[in-house]
Amino acid sequence: MLRPVHIALLELKLFLSNRAELAFSIALPILLFALMYGALSSDTEVFTPASVVDLDGGVHARELVARLDSLPEVEVEERTEADADSALDRSAILFAVVIPDGFSDALEAGESAPLVFRQRGNGGDTGQIVAAIVRGIARDMATDARVRVQTQRALAGSGVPAERIEAEVGAQLASLRASPPVAVEVLRPGEEPNDESSDSLFSRLLPGLIVMFVMFSVTLAAQAMVEERRTGTLERLMTTRLGVNQLFTGKFLSGVMRAMFQTVLMLSLAFVVFQPGGALEFVELLAFALLAAAAFTGVSLVIGAVARTRNQAAWAAVFFTLLMVVFSGTFFEITEGSLMHSISRATINAYAIDAMQNIIGRGEHLGQQWLEMAVMAGVAVVGLTIARLLFRITPEGR
Amino acid sequence: MSKSPDFLVASELRKSFGGLLAVDGVSFSIGKQEIFGLLGPNGAGKTTTIRMLSTVLAPDEGDVVIGGHSVTRESDAVRKLVGVCPQELALYPELSATDNLVFFGRMAGLSGREAKSEAARHLESVGLTERAGDKVDKFSGGMKRRVNLAVALMSRPQLLFLDEPTVGIDPQSRSHIFDTVEGLRDNGMTVLYTTHYMEEADRLCNRLAIMDHGQLISLGSPQELKAEIGDPEEVTLETVFLELTGRSLRD
Repeated sequence: MLRPVHIALLELKLFLSNRAELAFSIALPILLFALMYGALSSDTEVFTPASVVDLDGGVHARELVARLDSLPEVEVEERTEADADSALDRSAILFAVVIPDGFSDALEAGESAPLVFRQRGNGGDTGQIVAAIVRGIARDMATDARVRVQTQRALAGSGVPAERIEAEVGAQLASLRASPPVAVEVLRPGEEPNDESSDSLFSRLLPGLIVMFVMFSVTLAAQAMVEERRTGTLERLMTTRLGVNQLFTGKFLSGVMRAMFQTVLMLSLAFVVFQPGGALEFVELLAFALLAAAAFTGVSLVIGAVARTRNQAAWAAVFFTLLMVVFSGTFFEITEGSLMHSISRATINAYAIDAMQNIIGRGEHLGQQWLEMAVMAGVAVVGLTIARLLFRITPEGR
Repeated sequence: MSKSPDFLVASELRKSFGGLLAVDGVSFSIGKQEIFGLLGPNGAGKTTTIRMLSTVLAPDEGDVVIGGHSVTRESDAVRKLVGVCPQELALYPELSATDNLVFFGRMAGLSGREAKSEAARHLESVGLTERAGDKVDKFSGGMKRRVNLAVALMSRPQLLFLDEPTVGIDPQSRSHIFDTVEGLRDNGMTVLYTTHYMEEADRLCNRLAIMDHGQLISLGSPQELKAEIGDPEEVTLETVFLELTGRSLRD
């Protein structure tokens, strides 16, 4: 009964004894992860420097600076007037916002408040961006101030206490900010409207990479079987008391083990660095990856059962991988309802990626992925059965 | 030498691959504790015959009974009786000699402890105790051949198939293998031995079968075969072989 386990342990020993292969197996996920990290991090590290000179120092001037600084894409650099002038003269900066003395008082009085943009030429791209943002913030602040002042003036003498007017106006303005009349949503390529995922590029990329790593095992497991046939160890095993079912169960276990080696590494790195979820999501993803590994190992055994040379096994595995990647939309979005979408439903990848995206991108649990889990388990069982039957009709099969 | 009771009986074995008839109606028997030589030029059908006898290939026609069990109907029982030392070095070169032997021992149904103790015993019998922990890919050709033989012994077989076990090795390793095979025979094992070296067959085998074009063309003791074409004291087995199979190149 333990023979399949011994076969799996033997393959593990062979894998660990080949230092070059082992080093490559560890380096590849780390390298790919580094590339993924670079690709995803570059999205959030773009920021616009904004030089600000606050000559007013009043409440509204500080609020303007604070609002500007709170924007993730803007980094405020506060300067003195002399420093800003010097930097502009040296072209160290091309644009500076100057908040003149009296800015806060003017807003408080509901009057037009002065704001100065000092710039070289047209202020450069970043200057124009900062100018647009500052105009928007200042306009909002002026509107708020005018609403307050005009409401106070309109209700003057009505007997309503000034504090109550201020509180009511403040509440209305806060409500307006929370539910603006025009709600703008920023969408990046690959994201969908109202996608609650904070990082959907990551949640698409990671499942794709995991599936790719699992698919590498198709090639390796198929080639390992062909190599055993070439060296004669497979035939020798068939002269022992090892049954074909035991042989295939052992090969199946070792294939899954090999596939999970890189997957665990990749997933661990991703969870430590990007923290797309907690321990539960990690375990659920790992469990689903295990099922995906079983499905792809089933396919690899079919290839290994019929291929006669390493090249045949490699080409068959590459062809299978290409078909799966191209038609499943592993790294790109497929429009629902399209012909491509219908075709993708015939690939293993599509189900594997869907399930993993649901877990890390949409907060669903493994138990909700019953269709995807059934597909993985089905492919594994069918693959194992077909491989077993094909092996039986080959010369080595009994 | 009188033939002991039959341990293996092959009857009318036939096997073809596509249109090629590799083995054509081969019948012979091997007595218990006999070293039986199967000779023939390349492509004569020796290896295909051994693969059928060792349950790897199913015959198209005919059957083989080993130790009272049919290879076609009771292959599991047959596999408990046989050990195979294939022509190629069917080993895991990245593993040590001990690890190779222990693995195949486990596959043959030995417990972990039994496999380790058998591995140590067989490595000693083939003179490799000192190198037991070394990876096989660091071994010389002769040492690999000896590990290949030791692996075949891990299943504690009653019938051992040795398919050209001395190809490409030095005289010392060859002599060591001869001694091992004779020792196994003396301890009760039956051996089927194929080789291209006629002096090996002459020295080791109690009886010989010569195959050509998938058929068994001659069978008898080395002396009987030599007597078929001349004075057994003067005729060599190589002369007999060439007389029976011709001098045209086969590869």
